[in-house]
Amino acid sequence: MPAYHSNYNSVSDVHVINGIPLLPLVTKTRGPAPYADPSMTYDIVDETIELFRPNSFFKNFEIKGNGDRLLIYTILFISQCLNKIKATMPLGEATKALYSLAVSQVVIPADAGFPLHSMYPAVADRAEADMLRQYLLQVRQEVATRLVTVVYAGGQMEMPSKWWLCFQKRHFMGKVMN
Amino acid sequence: MSKLPPVVIDNGTGYTKMGFAGNTDPQFVIPTVIGLPNQSRYGIASKRGIEDLDFHIGDEAVTNSKSYGLNYPIRHGQIDNWDHMERYWEQSIFKYMRCEPEDHYFLLTEPPLNAPENREQMAEIFFESFNVQGLYIAVQAVLALAASWTAKNSQQTLTGTVIDSGDGVTHVIPVAEGYVLGSSIKHIPIAGRDITAFVQQLMREHGETKIPPEDSLEIARRIKEHYSYTCHDMSKEFQKFDADPVKYFKSLDAVNSINQQTYKVDIGYERFLAPEVFFNPELVSSDFLTPLPEVVDTCIQVSPIDTRRGLYNNIVLSGGSTMFKDFGKRLQRDIKRIVDGRIKMSEDLSGGRLQAKPIDVNVVAHKKQRHAVWFGGSIMACTDQFYQFSHTKAEYEEYGPSICRHNRVFESLA
Repeated sequence: MPAYHSNYNSVSDVHVINGIPLLPLVTKTRGPAPYADPSMTYDIVDETIELFRPNSFFKNFEIKGNGDRLLIYTILFISQCLNKIKATMPLGEATKALYSLAVSQVVIPADAGFPLHSMYPAVADRAEADMLRQYLLQVRQEVATRLVTVVYAGGQMEMPSKWWLCFQKRHFMGKVMN
Repeated sequence: MSKLPPVVIDNGTGYTKMGFAGNTDPQFVIPTVIGLPNQSRYGIASKRGIEDLDFHIGDEAVTNSKSYGLNYPIRHGQIDNWDHMERYWEQSIFKYMRCEPEDHYFLLTEPPLNAPENREQMAEIFFESFNVQGLYIAVQAVLALAASWTAKNSQQTLTGTVIDSGDGVTHVIPVAEGYVLGSSIKHIPIAGRDITAFVQQLMREHGETKIPPEDSLEIARRIKEHYSYTCHDMSKEFQKFDADPVKYFKSLDAVNSINQQTYKVDIGYERFLAPEVFFNPELVSSDFLTPLPEVVDTCIQVSPIDTRRGLYNNIVLSGGSTMFKDFGKRLQRDIKRIVDGRIKMSEDLSGGRLQAKPIDVNVVAHKKQRHAVWFGGSIMACTDQFYQFSHTKAEYEEYGPSICRHNRVFESLA
């Protein structure tokens, strides 16, 4: 049983830039993400937070669709976030640290700095790239807010859970985004 | 005269299991290691002619390892150093079992694909050095099959696939009617030791800094043996831990072996990740990536076609590393999934014109798994046929060690 794949691989009626599908998000931040059905409670960000832990144990991953491309991007970002949280960081401080990480230097897979650059198709033009950057910014902000709630067990804990921080040294596909 | 019970000795790479036939557990389970005195201790002047008796085996050798060099006479299941092995057997018989070899029959075990020369060598040692009454050399995998007969859902046949996982290596051995199908045997370089190392690594990652380094291996082994279980699905298991942390996260009170202080160790995801190594070898290895269910399936698929149903129907577990809770169930489910998938594919390819008879996949787990080989030997040596199949001292003297090349269980077939 190899690593887990995204359930969004088969979604077809969606705009794709740079191999990344602009899937609807349950979010309040503004951006190019398509309008989400108000009844929608589960999105790609939830899925990624769920699959992050099992998938971090895998070094090999076969990309089966565009959903997987977004999954990889988001998993790498979660890993980057976890490495920002220190074992003694209180909730408020972590929220701030992750927010500033989310909004600073949004890398898109077409950028040379992205570790899996070659696994993604090229981006058509500047406008597309900007739109993707805006979309990923939304994804990143959403990851940052939701990750804090799970790592601090819904805000009940003063300090981050060590059962999340133990994944700091695990790297999905052996790659790190920075 | 009623016969004394036969002695059953199973020499494994890591541990030797020995005891009298008819018992359910071996009397002694000791490391297969011999401690020989360091050369420097004997000057020419001190030679009194008893140096060859100055050695220890098993745990005693380990405790005396400062003044006695440790030698491991068995490598990869095969006897590597016959001189050391002979002395090992000598103490096994006289010091541990405390029996007179001339009054007993002996049952020894051999790995699959053992060379007949090794069998002859064994016979030579047992008949000439120890003067035993009779000797039978059984194949370990076949004994493991026999041991599974005690299980509830066992078919009691000698056809089946044996999954033998000890400390060093895991074998998948297909056996048809007592014959080992040598060409189909598969090895997996992942076993108990790798799992313990993986647990150790996970413990380090979640920061169990209170564990002293010298106890770390022991703690990891305890966690592996007492707290692990096989899960259905890794991703779902993580969510179960989130939903009910009190039930799933455990802690262990341990005592520092040096200053005797107690400390607490938290146990988390390693509980289900440890056995997961067999189903996702990628967790610990970067070059071996085939999951155990797939290896078992290929092993059966390369066996003769008329044996395959029997091999799927009776998959038997043996060895300490197969003792995880629900290991058999998970294995059965995964193999079943592969087999059903293949049948469905061939039905689809035929356009619905062919209907295959479904294949029963049965993984047999039982209570004697840990020392299954020894236990199988103990059962086997209790049967009446054992004496017919054994080679006796008289026969040895008549024909020589070559009699051990021949196995009388298969006489009618040979």
